[in-house]
Amino acid sequence: MAIIRWKEPSWNLVDEYDRLRSQINQLFEGPAFPVTQGLFDRSVSPALDLIEDDESFTVVCDLPGVDKKNLDVSIAQDVLTIKGEKSLKADLEKANVYKNECWEGKFQRTISLPKAVDGSKIDAVFKNGVLRLTLPKREEARARKIELKS
Amino acid sequence: MAEKEIQKREQDNARTRIRPRSVICEQGDIVVLRMEMPGVEQKDLDIRIEENELHVSGTRSGKTESGTALVRERLDGDFYRVFTLDDTIDRNRVEANLKNGMLHVTLHMKEAEKPRTIEVKTG
Repeated sequence: MAIIRWKEPSWNLVDEYDRLRSQINQLFEGPAFPVTQGLFDRSVSPALDLIEDDESFTVVCDLPGVDKKNLDVSIAQDVLTIKGEKSLKADLEKANVYKNECWEGKFQRTISLPKAVDGSKIDAVFKNGVLRLTLPKREEARARKIELKS
Repeated sequence: MAEKEIQKREQDNARTRIRPRSVICEQGDIVVLRMEMPGVEQKDLDIRIEENELHVSGTRSGKTESGTALVRERLDGDFYRVFTLDDTIDRNRVEANLKNGMLHVTLHMKEAEKPRTIEVKTG
């Protein structure tokens, strides 16, 4: 039988909990996904896709039934805002509605883009109820191959 | 034999089918259907009446983007929905109009079925 001196375990319970807490905090720190809903956005809003490639971002947003004059797209410091109003009541005033699956009213989507875009070169097309925006990245934000000199 | 059928069905249904959101309302002697079909062009729209069913289908030939999708909320697929009609609808008077990705279908009731007020004479 070996006689081993018994020592206080150097493992400290408080330190372990601290480490666990900071690890969990790191999970919540910073947006894991781009923030796509701003403070004033409503709960019902149009669906959109945000796609990134080496040169630019593409935003595609479904806005059926929205008139171009009721649509407003703006960008400020890499935060893109799409807002407008969708109205279904256009032609029928006194109709009996049996079934309504569509939302209507004012809407707003705010998207903060993870990388810098060139605001002057944004291309926006609204066709067939689909808004398609192409936002080219700024030169320094583009993925660039670095040449290796021997 | 059954396997072939399943394979064929899988090929036919390669594209997801989305039920377009709709509004159904009635005013007087017309019934109006509105369907949200964003991205569908007039040439890709197919509306037909078969017996007592109205079939609406629209395909989307939108280009698929290259790159990584950071946010994907839209459904990728074609639209298809069937509505059952009853005898009060006149099959020959159906109008459809596609604007801004919204399809408006106007159905008229048959002449004989229109609500008619009956005058009550005294005496």
